[in-house]
Amino acid sequence: MEHAIIVAASAIGAGLAIGLAAIGAGIGDGAVTAKAIEGMARQPEAKGTILVNMLISVGLIESIPIIAAVIAIVLVFANPFLK
Amino acid sequence: MEHGGGHEIGAHKLAHFAGLTFNIDTLYMTWLAMAIVILIAYFATRRLTLVPTGLQNAVEMIVTALLDQIEATMGPRGKKLAPLIITLFLFLLTANWLGLVPGLTSPTNDINTTLGFAVMVIGLVQILGIMNKGIKAYFKHFFEPFIPFVIINIIEEVSKPITLAFRLFGNILAGEILIIILGILVPMWIPIPNIIWLGFSVFVGLVQAFIFTMLSMSYLANSLKDHH
Repeated sequence: MEHAIIVAASAIGAGLAIGLAAIGAGIGDGAVTAKAIEGMARQPEAKGTILVNMLISVGLIESIPIIAAVIAIVLVFANPFLK
Repeated sequence: MEHGGGHEIGAHKLAHFAGLTFNIDTLYMTWLAMAIVILIAYFATRRLTLVPTGLQNAVEMIVTALLDQIEATMGPRGKKLAPLIITLFLFLLTANWLGLVPGLTSPTNDINTTLGFAVMVIGLVQILGIMNKGIKAYFKHFFEPFIPFVIINIIEEVSKPITLAFRLFGNILAGEILIIILGILVPMWIPIPNIIWLGFSVFVGLVQAFIFTMLSMSYLANSLKDHH
């Protein structure tokens, strides 16, 4: 009975974690890329600089969603609550 | 749960020495990455020519790009730290890409490696800050602009090594786990998702090494200045 509760709670927790992480990453990256492309359209000579900064910003923004993804994967495949 | 060749995801082979426990598989991969970086550096600097070709050309591209970035971020004092930054980038790049070779794992999929690098960089930031600004001015800047801001400043200083470490660790570990899982889920004769994910992981490894280096440069630039 306890085992079933742990498995069910882990599954729900993992689903919530990865879903919310995906929403967060999607909205954040979308906002950054929209502004970056707008900047590139206004000034095509700055394309290189804007592209580099955009990639760095995407890497930074995605840090917490990636940690959430790791937590979700660990809960599903290497659950520490089930020994 | 056991998957993927009979080893648990996130488990390491342990070695005990002098009363301490080491993740010996991470250490083997770290030494392999170190050997690769040293060999690349050795072979790229033999018989230097004024107009570079081959390996010397490739390494010179990376080094000049990083030197320009160091000059832009850290100013003229940054040249002293250029060897550290370039070595950091080359090692992290090699370490991240090592896990994509079938049979090998990245040393950066272990939180110990990434936390070690993060603590090294932030320790350097604090020490250089104290050396360049003087102890009194350095501790005083935590209390600016208002005294209650000390909480926010301390949280910011503590979160720097933690986010540095976990960003790199999370990206590389998630990539490796997904490689294993795709290997299990996808039938062997249509490895299309595997190839796509491997290609993306090459890109992620490069970007994460670059972000770690860029953030280290940015934190170090702050500590190299004399006064606000």
